[in-house]
Amino acid sequence: MRAFVVRDHEAVAGLDEDERLVIARIVADVGLLLGAESFGHGEARTPERDDLASVMRFLERLDDAAVEPDDPALLRLLPNAAPDDREVADEFRRLTHQDIRDGKIDRLRRVWEQLSAPGDEWAVPSDEVMATAAALTDVRLVVASRLGIESDEDAEALHRDIAEASAGLRTADPEDLGLDPERLWLGMLYDALTWLQESLVSLRIGGSDE
Amino acid sequence: MGTQEQTEVASQSGTRLADSWVTIVWNDPVNLMSYVTRVFQEYFALPRSEAEARMREVHEQGRSVLSTGSREQMEVDVQAMHSYGLWATLQRSGE
Repeated sequence: MRAFVVRDHEAVAGLDEDERLVIARIVADVGLLLGAESFGHGEARTPERDDLASVMRFLERLDDAAVEPDDPALLRLLPNAAPDDREVADEFRRLTHQDIRDGKIDRLRRVWEQLSAPGDEWAVPSDEVMATAAALTDVRLVVASRLGIESDEDAEALHRDIAEASAGLRTADPEDLGLDPERLWLGMLYDALTWLQESLVSLRIGGSDE
Repeated sequence: MGTQEQTEVASQSGTRLADSWVTIVWNDPVNLMSYVTRVFQEYFALPRSEAEARMREVHEQGRSVLSTGSREQMEVDVQAMHSYGLWATLQRSGE
């Protein structure tokens, strides 16, 4: 995986086919969580690499929890706009939620299309940089919710676990290290998405101050 | 006077009675500082230094007031923040 860099009027990251499949899959899953029709046609192919196949299995479990209206991941995407005022919160929800959902779904679908283009790249046109960064935020909010990240301390604890694990993982199975493999793989996916988003937004393209 | 007109008069006087609202953006552990800064630059048209100062306030104080105005205006701003994936709320000014 290679971070985003500027090339002509695009931001371009290097992702091999398996990495693109995994990220496209979670992007589509978040779309489903928001009520989208399936992206693309047919089932996503399972990557050949064993480590990515594990991630895919955990992503399938992510789907299963996605139908509850009070799903905490959905509440991260469509938060309460007025926790202390029921009337204001309800009106806001009634007036805005469908538009917010539709906008998020459109962005996710566009990112899914970017990731489905052939080649070992993820190319984002400069005028789609902020929309792509916003879609990545939505995906990270959902993964963070599944990982139980509710505070800066939770995020730091996850980082510590991953750092410890990645040392041991070269030689051992995660279960032998006493780590929850689901937390580990989802955590590594979360870290990769964070790293990609950081590299994308730190480029000085796609903004009003260009 | 029809119901429609009565409603309009009521909402106009409501606005005139200085019903001032605010949009608050809250800290969360997921959003990146660089991203939040760019959202404030893009949406609120803040210069980069001001956008960074607001982002730091959110990160360090836990919240920052990003806009003030009518309830309807604040609903638009909160909708935009939710669209960007930021956690924002609206409330009456001074509450």
